[in-house]
Amino acid sequence: MHSTQKILSLFAILLCFELHPSWGQEAPDFVAIGRPFLEKHCIGCHGSEEPKAELSLNRFQDSMSLVRERKLWENVLKMTASGEMPPEDHPRPTPAESEAFIEHVHALFDHADRNAKPDPGRVTMRRLNRVEYRNTIRDLIGIDFDPTEDFPSDDIGHGFDNIGDVLTLSPVLMERYLAAAERIVERAIMPELPPTLKRHISARHTEPASGDVEKKLMEGEFRRMTSDGTLPIEVGPINTPYQWDSEGEYTFKTRAYAKSDEDQAVRIAIVVQGKGLTESSSEEELAQLVGKVRSPAKILQILEVSGRDSKSANVFKVSLPAMEGRDRMMVALMKPNEGSPPIQVYVDHLALEGPMDTRPASQRRLLAKVDPEGPSQQTAKILERFLLRAYRRPPTETELQRMMGLVEATQANGKNWEAGMQLAFQSALSSPKFLFRVELDDRPQSIVARGLDEFQLASRISYFLWSSMPDDELLALAGSNELSENIDVQVRRMLKDSKSSSLVTQFALQWLQIQRLASYSPDPKLFPQFDEKLRGAMRKETELFFESILKEDRSILDLIDADYTFLNETLARHYGIVDTAGTRTGEKREDKVGQRIRGDKFERVTLQSGERGGLLTQASILAVTSNPTRTSPVKRGRWVLEQILGAPPPPPPPNAPLLEEGEQAKATGTLKERLEAHRKNPSCANCHAKMDPIGFALENFDAVGAYRTKDGEFSIDATGQLADGTLLDGPTGLKKVIRERKQQFERCLVEKMLIYALGRGIEYYDRPSIDRIVNRLASQEDRISVLVTEIIKSDPFRMRRASDETASIK
Amino acid sequence: MVSRRTLLRGVGVSMALPWLEAMGPARAWSEHRADGKSVPNRMAFLYVPNGKNMSEWTPTKEGADFELTSILQPLEKVKDKFMILSGLTADKARPHGDGGGDHARALSAFLTGSQARKTDGTDIRAGISVDQVAASRIGDRTRLPSLEIGCEQGSMAGNCDSGYSCVYSSTMSWRSATQPLPKEVNPKLVFERLFGSAPDAQKAQRDARRKSVLDFVREDSKDLSGKLGQGDVRKLDEYFSSIRDIELRIARAEQLPPVRVPDYLVPATVPAVYDEHIRLMCDLLVLSFQTDVTRVATFVLANEGSNKPYPFIEVPDGHHDLSHHGNDKEKLTKIKKINTFHTTQLAYLLEKLSSVTEGEGTLLDHSMIAYGSGNSDGNAHNHDNLPILLAGGGCGTLKPGRHVRYPKETPLSNLWISMLNRMEVDIEHLGDSTGGLAQLDG
Repeated sequence: MHSTQKILSLFAILLCFELHPSWGQEAPDFVAIGRPFLEKHCIGCHGSEEPKAELSLNRFQDSMSLVRERKLWENVLKMTASGEMPPEDHPRPTPAESEAFIEHVHALFDHADRNAKPDPGRVTMRRLNRVEYRNTIRDLIGIDFDPTEDFPSDDIGHGFDNIGDVLTLSPVLMERYLAAAERIVERAIMPELPPTLKRHISARHTEPASGDVEKKLMEGEFRRMTSDGTLPIEVGPINTPYQWDSEGEYTFKTRAYAKSDEDQAVRIAIVVQGKGLTESSSEEELAQLVGKVRSPAKILQILEVSGRDSKSANVFKVSLPAMEGRDRMMVALMKPNEGSPPIQVYVDHLALEGPMDTRPASQRRLLAKVDPEGPSQQTAKILERFLLRAYRRPPTETELQRMMGLVEATQANGKNWEAGMQLAFQSALSSPKFLFRVELDDRPQSIVARGLDEFQLASRISYFLWSSMPDDELLALAGSNELSENIDVQVRRMLKDSKSSSLVTQFALQWLQIQRLASYSPDPKLFPQFDEKLRGAMRKETELFFESILKEDRSILDLIDADYTFLNETLARHYGIVDTAGTRTGEKREDKVGQRIRGDKFERVTLQSGERGGLLTQASILAVTSNPTRTSPVKRGRWVLEQILGAPPPPPPPNAPLLEEGEQAKATGTLKERLEAHRKNPSCANCHAKMDPIGFALENFDAVGAYRTKDGEFSIDATGQLADGTLLDGPTGLKKVIRERKQQFERCLVEKMLIYALGRGIEYYDRPSIDRIVNRLASQEDRISVLVTEIIKSDPFRMRRASDETASIK
Repeated sequence: MVSRRTLLRGVGVSMALPWLEAMGPARAWSEHRADGKSVPNRMAFLYVPNGKNMSEWTPTKEGADFELTSILQPLEKVKDKFMILSGLTADKARPHGDGGGDHARALSAFLTGSQARKTDGTDIRAGISVDQVAASRIGDRTRLPSLEIGCEQGSMAGNCDSGYSCVYSSTMSWRSATQPLPKEVNPKLVFERLFGSAPDAQKAQRDARRKSVLDFVREDSKDLSGKLGQGDVRKLDEYFSSIRDIELRIARAEQLPPVRVPDYLVPATVPAVYDEHIRLMCDLLVLSFQTDVTRVATFVLANEGSNKPYPFIEVPDGHHDLSHHGNDKEKLTKIKKINTFHTTQLAYLLEKLSSVTEGEGTLLDHSMIAYGSGNSDGNAHNHDNLPILLAGGGCGTLKPGRHVRYPKETPLSNLWISMLNRMEVDIEHLGDSTGGLAQLDG
């Protein structure tokens, strides 16, 4: 109650800031508050005369002097927060005094930030990481293999693997890039085409097959089909299956003659059949055929057989256009007219030739001719089309000329045009212009911020939402300068596209640190139920859950607390849930009956109020914040503070032994002593008072995220009390408190997503933009699409400055 | 024709064969080579994380009759082939005002003698590492200037140690102060890197094609300069220095005598069993020296701060969690077990090296293998009196089989200086070094 009020009033104040940025906000008075602390605790060693660590703090007399040396002060605050300074052998401030000092300096920076000139910051040119490279190749070339298997893993900075400064390029990786470019173009373009495949099957081996075919139906090399037979082998249609390239054109051939008592025309039908065919002849049409032909099947052509013996047999040739879902080719008899005598047709073989065009699909696409112009214009147009997509901007005239020179030189060496194009593409894929997301700048020394051009913006958006290159629509909009004004529409479109799943697998899983699950190995003796299936299911639950928030455009607060999740049988059993209504194992319910959860398929499950719901209670997260043998309330508390509340505790002071945790209930003599030792060290106690209670609230979940009421022989006490007196009672209580601090959570999520979107860490000058996004969220039901869109519209995303120097400090 | 390697690779067999003996010396070193050099010296650096149970590591006696402590016990067979160097310090792993993060600093300072810049991702910086100093000076004598291998990938999530990017706690080799070199953990890829994956004829064709690609991109990228900010220029430099490396490598491959590709089977995937993985990497390390593909290598057995459990030796707890033992006897015993597991793998490597005859001696006689950690006691996070072992004869420049104790605060980087000098690399400073290290040759 009390804390809610506090939050509300804080919220009101923040709102006022937003509405009136300069509204009566007094700068905190450093001379009255900060300076005395400095004089009392710091200047003694860090004065003007031979200061310790060559750091003199004496020169800081007013607020502006601090703001000017902000980096230094961030260090000073860290040292103070961790209790490292002042050192132990000096009189030390109480934790409350230190905290007040830190808050004061923060407030002072806040004030400066809110009044500073906007600064979008600088993003270091980003190399494509593994996932981005793979996706980009998929979309650029359209081939279905993973060229990044051999790439070394990308390093993580600020929690993500797409940070420009951290993505280095080693010789090993460069070698892999060169090899990948080779493999890709070898698959995508074939200068020497393989000959068209010809398949010939003699009629005696066609279907329907039986030993009787040879005995009763063959006449020489010809197999008989008769319209008055009783068995399928007699009436046909004779047929055979093939492997097809659905995009390929084929030629089908057969040879046949007929026997007929009367002088009536004998006709056969050439039919293609396959379960996946998208068009079919009607049932009436198929009923004209002798024998049973199951739909979908398409009669390609009806032909008259005029030959009456093997010597005069007709050769038939039928072309097949590209078609999806083909399986069998058939030769069928057409039913003779009513009342006419039966007919017989003799067939000696079926032959299929194709695909007629043996170029890989990627080659047909990449090298597709443009307008009917001369060969060198063709080359230029095709290269231009490719480079626009590969470099994610139109190539310059010089670049185009240079690339054409490469093609021509290859041809001059006696290779064909395709070989030249292959080498050109290989070079483009090995170029820094492809491997890096280059944002060219005409004034690289300038500290003045400027807007990105439309192509740069298109790249930033598509790598943010898709972890891949911009598609044709984005490039076209950028080309006509219409992207900026269509951001809302484009973001909606892009989020609907299946490529946006990278926001789940790349952003969400890294934010939540689920990647650690892959190497988590809980003690098999203590947790025999943990196996690869369960590990996979844990990860999948979190993926599907985050995806549902995204796809249904829900409130981001649902991430903390939701009444549904996704379970398969493995995970449902782990959670003690049996059906989609969330019924617990052994529970009798009359109100709702759900479907039983069976098999590997994940079902959406409505959860009963209680232990589960939201990210914090998902096994994936509970596991990655545990030790292999037991839970770790400290790790869980720290995780919530860092990833959910955005209030990372300072690292432990050097040489501090780790606090034994999670064993409050079973504290033995020695353990108690250790706890005491920690309490004596106020800086330890201070931080653990923030972390541990959060972890205690999750103690009902063991180290693999299963629910428990006992730890060994001790009952679980899932309560904790935060330093400000807030009581946390179990997961429900914890979620309630986080919801009450919703701004803190939202700010944290905005920061994490902004880091991911920008590829750099958050700096103080990002504060105004973050404030704005948080406020926009609150005014639009906290929808996740608002979060994404507002990030894209923010200054740091849409603008850049080239120089390292910051504008605001100068 | 299908080679046995190809066949077995498909089956996933990963047992090591007695290939060393079968192969014999891969290079015929003689006193009469054109350049007048006999067998070359090699250097490798092996890293194990989280410090040690120091009382079970450090021998009490000094000199030649030092006793094998329990952690050193597995090395009994090669006792006269290594020395324990006590008292060395990695001062730059200490906070010096940077607060927590001893694990990240321990690994990044280990071979660099430099203090890592505390950052979670902006402007990564440490210092050039000893192996890369060697690679840049003598790397042109072999096909590969250096080899970087390990058994654990860089962390896939989060920040690894108190505000330090994961780069620091997973990287041992630094090509420059700002360019960490990732390690290769997949034995198959290490093999391909050492010996190539294509037949020679194809290789030549491919190299020719690569050359024209590289010529083209170099020319084509010139228009980028002048249009990039400082940070971007640094990235472009990484690109250019990498392609220069590859061009040199292609050029060297044409000049150096052909390498006999060992008929060695490498599984297609990373072995799931840890000791099998380490041993495969050790085999490859031995092969790379034996065939003289490289003379410089680093090998990170596990990342610094690694919380890997060791259930196969009855230690189901995470290594890092355990290392904060608070002097708990049970935990100290478990740490000792982990430490001993690692020295058992080291023994495997040293025995392998000494089983290869080369000239008058063995491969181990012509190598310097440094092994250790940048943390001393994991509980205290102290970086003085580090557990350091130096094995091999260094071509007669080392006198192994002893325990040497150095004065407190002797920089670890002094050892690296002395090793570099034994590789014909004249250098006086590396990071915080103050000179060479005495007593290595007796």
